[in-house]
Amino acid sequence: MNRQIIVARRTIFSSVRRQVDNKVPQKQKVFQEDNGIPVHLKGGTVDALLYRTTMMLTVLGTGYVVYELVTAAFPQKKD
Amino acid sequence: MAHQAHAYHMVDPSPWPLTGAVAALLMTSGLAIWFHYNSIVLMTLGTVLLLLTMYQWWRDIVREGTFQGHHTPPVQKGLRYGMILFITSEVFFFLGFFWAFYHSSLAPTPELGGCWPPTGITTLDPFEVPLLNTAVLLASGVTVTWAHHSIMEGERKQAIQSLTLTILLGFYFTFLQGMEYYEAPFTIADGVYGSTFFVATGFHGLHVIIGSTFLAVCLLRQIQYHFTSEHHFGFEAAAWYWHFVDVVWLFLYISIYWWGS
Repeated sequence: MNRQIIVARRTIFSSVRRQVDNKVPQKQKVFQEDNGIPVHLKGGTVDALLYRTTMMLTVLGTGYVVYELVTAAFPQKKD
Repeated sequence: MAHQAHAYHMVDPSPWPLTGAVAALLMTSGLAIWFHYNSIVLMTLGTVLLLLTMYQWWRDIVREGTFQGHHTPPVQKGLRYGMILFITSEVFFFLGFFWAFYHSSLAPTPELGGCWPPTGITTLDPFEVPLLNTAVLLASGVTVTWAHHSIMEGERKQAIQSLTLTILLGFYFTFLQGMEYYEAPFTIADGVYGSTFFVATGFHGLHVIIGSTFLAVCLLRQIQYHFTSEHHFGFEAAAWYWHFVDVVWLFLYISIYWWGS
């Protein structure tokens, strides 16, 4: 007996509302591109922005700590 | 691209070791400046730099492993050794605090009343919230093992559910412990009892938070299809760390909460 199986399309409430797509193959393509860019910058513009912010804080922070430590080591005497 | 004739990982030059070192310098110097000159600017800057370093460094490791394929079997073996050695160093870290506890509690001085718990200290009932906390962490050990098996068997939804449950149990522990800290009839300033109690349990609580964060990152990666049934070392490392946190709690519970009460 031939039975037609009808696939009913209906909304199913599941715990994962949004279907997350597998973007790993695309990521693999981006990060394996032979462009000589180091991994910490290879993701694009956001990488560069984040790197520059971090490095700026590093340099400023180093300067500031040297200032604070020198000030702490050589206190100005008040007459 | 020149192809390497070996299975090892020659990493790209990276700025994160430098930024991490500067972060450590800023945090420690900042701590001293805070103590003596009442300014938290340096310490805060150091903490921000540390967070930025951790995020970018670990992001890069995920890229190298999952997207670039650098985590070959020999490389993974090295990562396993690394995680095991790190956890071992943490064991020694806690060993010190247990040594301090037993030093003071096995031979209580006359200043304490010659007894343990010391005179005047109202200890927490080990069979109330601390026992619940023990059950919570033991249950989380079960759920994290369930998550591991789910990943190995390719059961995506179950892996997500069990990993989520593990993290929620971790949060529940932290919440309960926070309540206990708030309600405790003694403080860190209450002699050697207070010191050993809050330093040992406090560092443990910090490790629960770190472990929960590690597991949460694994959850995000599992949702994004990073893990395969054969290769999911990031998750295994998080699970090892979580079991370590659980075992430390068991020692804390038996020693400080139960025997020490």
